[in-house]
Amino acid sequence: MNSSTTTHWIDRNAAKLGTPSLLLALLLTAVWAVSVVTAPVDSAQGLIQKTLYVHVPCAFAAYMGFVITGLCGIMYLWKEETAYDRLAYAAAEVGILFCSLVLITGPIWARGTWGKWWSWDARLAVTVLLWFLYLAYLLLRSFSEGSPRTARFAAIYGVVGVPVIILNYFAIDLAGGRAMHPDNLEQGSLGAGMGMPFLLGVLAILAIFFHLLFTRTEVETLRAEELRTHLLSDSH
Amino acid sequence: MNPPAILVQALEKNYGPVPALRGVDLEVAAGEAIAVLGPNGAGKSTLLNLLSGLTRPDKGTLNVGVGEPCKDRRRARARIGLIGHETFLYPTLTARENLIFAGELYGLANPKQRADELLAEQQLEHAAHRAVKGFSRGMAQRVAIARGLIHDPPILLLDEPFTGLDHSSTEMLCAKLCRIRDAGKTIVLVSHDLALAAKIANQAILLVRGQIVHRCSGQQLTQSHLEQQYRTAVEPRS
Amino acid sequence: MNGYRVLVAVLHKEMLTEWRSRDRVIAMLIFSLLVVVIYHFALPELPSSEVPSTVSGLLWSAYLFAAILGLNRSFSAELENHALTGLAMAPLDRGWIFLGKALANFILLIFIQALTATAFALGFDLDLRSLFLPLAGIFALGAVGITSVGTLFAAIAVRTRNQELLLPLLLLPLLMPILIAATTATRALLLGEPVPGTPVRMLVMADTIFLVLSFICFEYVLDD
Repeated sequence: MNSSTTTHWIDRNAAKLGTPSLLLALLLTAVWAVSVVTAPVDSAQGLIQKTLYVHVPCAFAAYMGFVITGLCGIMYLWKEETAYDRLAYAAAEVGILFCSLVLITGPIWARGTWGKWWSWDARLAVTVLLWFLYLAYLLLRSFSEGSPRTARFAAIYGVVGVPVIILNYFAIDLAGGRAMHPDNLEQGSLGAGMGMPFLLGVLAILAIFFHLLFTRTEVETLRAEELRTHLLSDSH
Repeated sequence: MNPPAILVQALEKNYGPVPALRGVDLEVAAGEAIAVLGPNGAGKSTLLNLLSGLTRPDKGTLNVGVGEPCKDRRRARARIGLIGHETFLYPTLTARENLIFAGELYGLANPKQRADELLAEQQLEHAAHRAVKGFSRGMAQRVAIARGLIHDPPILLLDEPFTGLDHSSTEMLCAKLCRIRDAGKTIVLVSHDLALAAKIANQAILLVRGQIVHRCSGQQLTQSHLEQQYRTAVEPRS
Repeated sequence: MNGYRVLVAVLHKEMLTEWRSRDRVIAMLIFSLLVVVIYHFALPELPSSEVPSTVSGLLWSAYLFAAILGLNRSFSAELENHALTGLAMAPLDRGWIFLGKALANFILLIFIQALTATAFALGFDLDLRSLFLPLAGIFALGAVGITSVGTLFAAIAVRTRNQELLLPLLLLPLLMPILIAATTATRALLLGEPVPGTPVRMLVMADTIFLVLSFICFEYVLDD
């Protein structure tokens, strides 16, 4: 069973990987930036197409954040180790950051290409719902009292949330049928010379995602640690 | 010698980073009554929650006769009757309906008969068909006690059951608890009332900041002794 | 073991308390009828050809809001004398307690759905009698989804600060698949099309996932 004296593998690794992941993120971002600038300009869309190199990787990170939150929720309910809760919380906060970036970069691109900021396309709608799920998760955390209770309630929300995202994806196809969003992953949707900056974008965003995740987890661990020593010194 | 009804070893519980219990050991034989005393925030309720299986410990072991309440939770819950200062009753249901519902929760073969039996025992037959919301505190508490005893549990956990009771109800409950103890049940009584604790319990512990600072039993266990210990343990710190 | 008996006992207790006070059912009913009136005034006069496709969305949003209104009070009686602790101490899988509560909420919601649909039919001049059976099926499938996660998160929200504020924010994003599938299916029925397969399958799938997850997760809700 987890205890206060032996640190959990999550806490250990989060502390250890903070700096390496930062260096990796900086390196990848630099290469990525250069490759985005030098990538060919899209013949149909023009310069605005380059938003894609940021937009799509952010979307991956946004969904990954919530999946990590859900998986950590299962682990927390099973093992009752607070480290899983800290990781889940960190993943939700980092995830909502990237989800917000998706929702900002998307309309910028849409305005340039479709001529309007928003369309109730399936992918857009699912991402908005994901954002609301994240928001509800964080609200639930801030509204509940007592840390084991907060952790348990949040874990349950995370666990139920993941299948809802998948269901949403299929459900929205039913409702709309107004598919305007390009299928990024389909063969040939990226022109020549665009594959490399896109790939670098995914790698760079993943490195940034994990760096933020590790750092945020470490902050939460230190916060818990500080509160503990504070209370212990109070009671002696 | 029989195995103890309750065995607690090196129990630790933190609420997040907040320590609530720090290494508690406890052994209660079947048919014994133990009083858990201490100031507010000492960890008394945490101890009771752990014994009832509603909370899991961080460290240490806990045994209520069928293994650990947090692992074999259902069987442990079946052996435990919990009576708090809250009654666990539904105000719009009658006393009898409340007891029958509790009987169903514990899977009794004949909850109606058991409810009537307990109502008679608590001298509440006249009020059996009245909604609990109209009951006085003393009457509601008697129904609550019947509810806690509905499945005839070998272990009874009481969380400040005297709160809000008038003198005669307190006397009645006290006598009832002594009878239950003498009938061979194990009682854990969390209370602020040292006099009542001295009357009912044959073992007492004093909890301060999550640790047992004093134990006494038998001849030692008197009201004046408890008062003296309480004063020396609690007051210099506050 | 005796899970089924506990389910029945909880359902019976819920129905009895609801019958004695009738607070929730009255509030939900008045609310959803008010929604019909509000929609009437808020929307322009619709050409009769567009009524069926619009009404299905209105109907389900009214159901959703009425359900949340009722779910918010679903556990308040359990808090009054900490009866929830008494439930938590029951020596059985707590999922059965959940099913009893959820079934009670389901019955309540079905009752509200029937009356609200009647009000919509009268208010928007729709003849729903020939569609009674398929509509009832879709309503029931939607209600299972709403009341399963609804009951789970009502039990969670009631033990947080600001439960009335929190519950809709928790539930609405989760219930989106149910809302979309149920509206799509209802719209197809109102337009005179046969029972649509895809949304019904979607409802069945969502209901199953929600019921199983809620049954399992409820075990963790009642702990201290």
